[in-house]
Amino acid sequence: MVWLLVVSLPAEASGKEGHLVFAPHWLPQAQFAGYYVAQDQGFYEEAGITVDIIHPTASVNAMQYLLDGKADIISMFLTSALDAVQKEANIVNIGQLSQHSAIMFVSMKDSGVESIYDMEGKKVGIWKSGFREVPVATLEKYEVEVEWVPILSTVNLFLLGGIDVMTVMWYNEYNQIYLSGIDRDEMNTFFLSDYGFDVPEDGLYVFEETRKNRESDLRAFVEASLRGWEYAAQNREYATRLTVQIMRGANIPSNHAHQRWMLNKVLEMQCISIKEVKPSELHPGDFEKAVSVIERFYDREFTPGYREFFQPVVPAVKKSNIP
Amino acid sequence: MIKKNSLSFRIITRVLLITITLFVLIMAGYYYYARNIIREYTRQNAIELAGNLTGKIEQILQPMEKVPQMLASTMEMGLIHPDSLMSILETVVRKNPTIYGSALAFEPDFFPDKGTYHMLYAHREGDRVHSMTLDTEEYDYFYMDWYQIPAILKEPYWSEPYYDEGAGNILMATYSVPFYCLRDGERRFAGIATVDLELEWLTDIVSQVQIFETGYAFMLSRNGVAVTHPDRTMIMNKSAFSNAEEWNAPILREVGRDLLQGISRFREYHIPGRDKLWIYYRNLESNLWSVSVVYPDREMFASLRQMTTMGVVFILGGLLLLTLITSGVIERLAKPLTLFAGSARTIAEGNFDVKLPTVSTNDEMKELHDAFSHMQEELAEYVVNLKETTAAKEKIESELRIAREIQLSMIPHTFPPFPDLPQVCLYAMLKSAREVGGDLYDFFVIDKDKFCFAIGDVSGKGVPASLFMAVTRTLLRTIADKEQSPASIMETLNKSLAFNNESNMFVTFFLGVLDLRTGKLMYSNAGHNPPVVIGSNGNVSMFEAAKSIPLGLFEDFIYTEHAVQLNSGDKLFAYTDGVSEAENKREVLFGEERMLEIVDAGKHLDPKDLIKSMEEAIDNHVVDYPQSDDITMMAIRYT
Repeated sequence: MVWLLVVSLPAEASGKEGHLVFAPHWLPQAQFAGYYVAQDQGFYEEAGITVDIIHPTASVNAMQYLLDGKADIISMFLTSALDAVQKEANIVNIGQLSQHSAIMFVSMKDSGVESIYDMEGKKVGIWKSGFREVPVATLEKYEVEVEWVPILSTVNLFLLGGIDVMTVMWYNEYNQIYLSGIDRDEMNTFFLSDYGFDVPEDGLYVFEETRKNRESDLRAFVEASLRGWEYAAQNREYATRLTVQIMRGANIPSNHAHQRWMLNKVLEMQCISIKEVKPSELHPGDFEKAVSVIERFYDREFTPGYREFFQPVVPAVKKSNIP
Repeated sequence: MIKKNSLSFRIITRVLLITITLFVLIMAGYYYYARNIIREYTRQNAIELAGNLTGKIEQILQPMEKVPQMLASTMEMGLIHPDSLMSILETVVRKNPTIYGSALAFEPDFFPDKGTYHMLYAHREGDRVHSMTLDTEEYDYFYMDWYQIPAILKEPYWSEPYYDEGAGNILMATYSVPFYCLRDGERRFAGIATVDLELEWLTDIVSQVQIFETGYAFMLSRNGVAVTHPDRTMIMNKSAFSNAEEWNAPILREVGRDLLQGISRFREYHIPGRDKLWIYYRNLESNLWSVSVVYPDREMFASLRQMTTMGVVFILGGLLLLTLITSGVIERLAKPLTLFAGSARTIAEGNFDVKLPTVSTNDEMKELHDAFSHMQEELAEYVVNLKETTAAKEKIESELRIAREIQLSMIPHTFPPFPDLPQVCLYAMLKSAREVGGDLYDFFVIDKDKFCFAIGDVSGKGVPASLFMAVTRTLLRTIADKEQSPASIMETLNKSLAFNNESNMFVTFFLGVLDLRTGKLMYSNAGHNPPVVIGSNGNVSMFEAAKSIPLGLFEDFIYTEHAVQLNSGDKLFAYTDGVSEAENKREVLFGEERMLEIVDAGKHLDPKDLIKSMEEAIDNHVVDYPQSDDITMMAIRYT
């Protein structure tokens, strides 16, 4: 049986000066390679902080760690964070890493789902643990009603034809399907960014209080993490190996082919493209886009403004080398 | 040592070349066919091996699969009290050593008193069986593959391999069977019955398969993920598809896709940077898992390579031996040839009695020997003949030399001939083509006022001609004593020569009698080339051509005579046809025209110099070409 819940957790976040516990919002994988690299290369130590990285389990997410005081910093989807703020969790964004949406729908070519409208009435797999807001908002915009099937983490139900469409991350499940023997030309893909929902994803979040009290530690963390990402971008083989090593340690199925793909795509997501922002900066337009998704999703007005939500700790972020 | 240019070397190299070519062709053919046979044999072996392994695994999996099926049926019958279910699971695990764990997981609120989450699980822990009930939302099993997939697909499901953390910390796969129950007259999904298979244990079974030294067997899941593999880090982590990417070996993706479609195949594959392998893969019968057997190409064809190497070594050894023996045989057979060569050289040196090599065989060498022997005899005989002939020839030549001396002594050759005769300045020469020739000239004083001169050319050449010439000259002297006019001298001479002239020889003859006081020249010409008159005024002209026939043909022929007046300083140039007809190698004649040119050019010279210049001109024309006719010239100046 899968006993993912029984994971020994580290001690509670100390709250001590110079020590931070960081919880990424998913299991170990190349999506977080920049942080692993920063730690492995000693960038955090060089910045004068010690960092512990803990991962969520199938049933405990990163937000829970934060609420339970087990983590000081967490990474989250922008929409998930807005959702948490909406639910009166007093958190702020201190750095927006991802600048684009990687969410997409995938259907098998032979399933007959050729357009987003063909999904009407179909079974669509979606993560049970969150990230639902943007896909739901997308289908709502196109007035397509589907039967959502919550899925924990694998693509097996989709492969076996148990669902017609699967919501996937370009950097993750999409490639897992490919690495299960489905050729790319056997799939229809629908990038949500092509449907007006290019909402950025991974960002770094802390309690507003932490932001106030521990600004220098947080700045050190963000700067060292960005350095980690830059290093990962320039040493992709190394970053992939490091990630696989960490995954093996956690007994999570892993292989270089998939993690290399993931690293490449996550780095692409961090590309700023034409936006007038610096790395780790949240674009006000993206904020508004995410707010409108959340407001539509919960049918409630979102009160905090951009300045309250986005409180960067790195004032002038140096130019990123990430391609 | 065999010499490079020897006959035996050439024969052996050619024979070796052909033998080696044949040998290479035969070995290549042998290798190709043997390789095909081995490949076919391996293919059959692989099919059988994979079949056996599949059977062995099916024998484990199928009874295992029966267990949750039985549990599901039992649940559907609804006869068992919920509290007895755990002991059934414990018994199942305890009684089935192949089963690592077994579970019953129920839909929310299936048992009203058990709540939303209700799952019973028994599993092996060393020798004991451990059991537990999971009934909190902490373990949200409804969305796990082993539960959700069979629930939605409504059919049994073998999970992908995964790591079971918490209970046993082992790699496993779970087989799940959905069960249903009647509620409100409706058949509804009620839950899942499972058994767990420990992959370590399955790996041990599959690892028992021995294929040569480093061949191996492994199993893949439906997704192509390693279920068992000798490299245990592959299990759960890597798949045919991920390795296809990592190793840049698209063929592995083809293998994975074949298996997804239930296709079995025996094929070779080559991962960049690694040894070539052969693989046979097939699916299990009960699920889309597969069994593959891998044969290293190097080991598969090791015996063939060994045999081929041995074959090459033996044949090379054989060829070496063949070379040695053949060269010995050929050397021995060809040895008489060398001896014959020596004999031939000795014979060439003139030793015809040399002993020929002994030939005991009755083959071509014997023929050569006989031919040599015959040649030896023929040569000896020929040389004897040659010696005799040469001796005879030498004798004749010596006689001819004497004859020439006699002949030359018959014509005057003292110049100037008449130192006390100032009116006549004369020079003459005779150059024979052969040892003795047929040309002649003569001059003498008849009385103190008459000067007689003659030039002639006897038909034919050699001894007969010279004899005829000697006769002619002797007769001329005799007749000129009695006769005074040229015509009568000619007629008398003709009569004498024609008389009894059985051999029909003749002589062209020009005879002149010059009156030394008056300069009047009386002459008669019997078919001879007309002489040239060089006037003291520089005028050069020829006498008119002769109208009379040569001497010696008709006894009674009447010869005429003519007169011409010579002035002081006039010159006469008489010659035979050897001058005008002197030939060079291109068969171009010297010619009268050329002769007249030389005469004209040398008209102021005295007779001797005129003749020398003519001789030089002829020599320049003829160069080295052998002289074919006698050359005779005579020049006279009257003063």
